[in-house]
Amino acid sequence: MEFLEKNAIYIVMIIVLIVWVGVFLYLWNLDKRIKNIEKEIGEKK
Amino acid sequence: MIWKIFLFLLLCFVSVAGISFPIVDNPQAWYEFPFIKGLEENAKIIFFHVPTAWLTVIAFFMTAIYSFKYLRKKNLDDDAKSYAAAQLGIIFCILATVTGAVWAKFAWGSFWSWDPRQTSIFALLLIYGAWFALRSSIESEEKRATLSSVYAIIAFVTVPFFIFILPRIMTGLHPGSADDTNAGPVIDFKMNSNMQLIFFLSLIGFTILYFWMWRLGYKSLIYRDKLNKQLLLRG
Repeated sequence: MEFLEKNAIYIVMIIVLIVWVGVFLYLWNLDKRIKNIEKEIGEKK
Repeated sequence: MIWKIFLFLLLCFVSVAGISFPIVDNPQAWYEFPFIKGLEENAKIIFFHVPTAWLTVIAFFMTAIYSFKYLRKKNLDDDAKSYAAAQLGIIFCILATVTGAVWAKFAWGSFWSWDPRQTSIFALLLIYGAWFALRSSIESEEKRATLSSVYAIIAFVTVPFFIFILPRIMTGLHPGSADDTNAGPVIDFKMNSNMQLIFFLSLIGFTILYFWMWRLGYKSLIYRDKLNKQLLLRG
């Protein structure tokens, strides 16, 4: 904690990572939806 | 295709520049950021936290627009578009809240201090959380689309108040609050032109990213609905 207080730049990096985690989760969700569509079409994936 | 490459390069540049450009007392070169007392390196959050809040507004705005379109034309594709936009809106709303809270722990001393902006984004989360609850509770497709469209339009009326007006007329910790000596739009706050450039590039980049994600999202929803209808017809 103290390290982060002294080196605020790492907090900015953590924040960028959190944003990318959010984008990643959305893509994950989208991937699941598309896989379901593929399953219904009958393609083996 | 070309815009995807452009977006990739833009977001790479913004991420690298936003994190690594040096903060100096007297910025001269185009890549130097000004020293802001009390914030220092913490000031760089503006390149990544503000775009998430900005995308929340855009996404909820698109939700309201396509809800309105649905009510006029009764085309379920518009409902899929508004649903995909709302999904992104709630994701970026949560991201803005979480990134803000993590940052606040180190800059303001605690994760949550009910600053006007924190309070208003919490209210937005509740309002749009209820929208998802409303949607999932209705079986009939048309009824669900109509009711959630009406709700989304009414809910969007609150967004400008919560994001743009309330946090400016009340005293708080965010830049641009009523007791902030650098009052005015948040972006003017002690930023020099280099910082503003990166900030606006970041806003543009994230906005393009949003539209890409949104397009993929609603396309998948529309195809799923079409497929389900075909299967129903055949079965």
